Amino acid sequence: MTDMDPRLQEALDGERDPATLPEGLREAYARFTAAADLLRQPPAVSVADRVMAEVRRTAPVPVVSPAGVARRIARWFTRPRAVTLRLRPAWTLAIAAALAAVMLVPFRGPVTLGAEEGVAQFVGHFPGARSVEVVGSFNDWRRGALALRDDDNDGIWHGAVVLPAGQHEYMFVVDGERWVADPLAGRYVDDGFGAGRQNALLIVRP
Amino acid sequence: MKLLAALLIVAAPVAAQSPHARLEGRVPAAALPGIDSLIEQAAAESLPTEPLVQKALEGGAKGIPVGRLVNGVRHGLVQLRDARAIVSRATPDRVTIDDDVAAVAAALARGLDPGMVERLLAAAPPAPPPGEPPGPVLHAAADLVAHGFPADSVVDLLKTARQEGLRGSRLLDVAVAASHELQREGGRTPAEALARVRAMMPNVPVATPPRPKVVTRRAGPGS
Repeated sequence: MTDMDPRLQEALDGERDPATLPEGLREAYARFTAAADLLRQPPAVSVADRVMAEVRRTAPVPVVSPAGVARRIARWFTRPRAVTLRLRPAWTLAIAAALAAVMLVPFRGPVTLGAEEGVAQFVGHFPGARSVEVVGSFNDWRRGALALRDDDNDGIWHGAVVLPAGQHEYMFVVDGERWVADPLAGRYVDDGFGAGRQNALLIVRP
Repeated sequence: MKLLAALLIVAAPVAAQSPHARLEGRVPAAALPGIDSLIEQAAAESLPTEPLVQKALEGGAKGIPVGRLVNGVRHGLVQLRDARAIVSRATPDRVTIDDDVAAVAAALARGLDPGMVERLLAAAPPAPPPGEPPGPVLHAAADLVAHGFPADSVVDLLKTARQEGLRGSRLLDVAVAASHELQREGGRTPAEALARVRAMMPNVPVATPPRPKVVTRRAGPGS
């Protein structure tokens, strides 16, 4: 940085009459004062306005096609976004309690049946049993799909399920190991495995 | 398009799961080749294979020894062949469908006489195809026979019921009404009970069990 002539400095500070300056310094003085005047005046158009005007002028106008819109919508739906959820702890606990109640309380409302469906009821008297389940052709003979209940511990186990109308073979499995044909079924069919055992037969009416 | 492809990729294995895949891990490995072969024979003869798959799954769940398990499935195949022959003889002008064959095989498994099954099927109305499903009338017949009614009387009663316009599960009501008449206080002979039911037709009582309070929606395969 070059040092400023002290006479020029004095003139700019108002301590010297600019007319007493030599020719070269008077020209420098005039340039400085013109620049200072320019800075004092507010610009007619703000810098921000000028920049934005330039951006608008140079940016190409996008061509909107239906496929492009669909892609943008799809991107909007699929792009991960941070979601901030602010809850009061009291509300959080209330919502958790409500959800737990919905999940745990058994549904007791009316079941809507399809045209080709019916309700099958199962009842068995198995005093002292720890568990009773129904296994049959309606669940591919798979264990654990339909457990009966004995809520009052009187040895009478029961359950009901919606099944397709038609014929279903089934058996009770008591305590996970003892296969028993339902004594109340009324209909039975030989299981075909040669030991004279029978399956209970259920006919579900639509 | 991508979504459709993804759905197909996910759904196809579920929909088209082969019998072998359904049985693997559910029946002893030593029984699988024999069962596969029987199921392939059934498919080659255009017989329904699902009853055989069910029999194999049942045997596997019950822990039936391999030899008896395969014999049980083989017995099922023989019953399906017999059933198809009965259906073809009884309704020669109708297209034989898997459900009819399976229903007749189930009736034979219940011990119904093949000749009786054939007479009941022949009494079914002809076209339009596929006609009336034979399951209800065969179960009604099997119920009546199980209660000691003579086979000829049962066939006649069910023919009358059909002439009176009773169809489907209403035929089961006929069987229930007949067994109730048989068990009435004072006692009735089978002939008396059948005469009473015949007199009621077509207004036999509808047997509707009470609806339980709690019903599980479905205990289907894999649930």
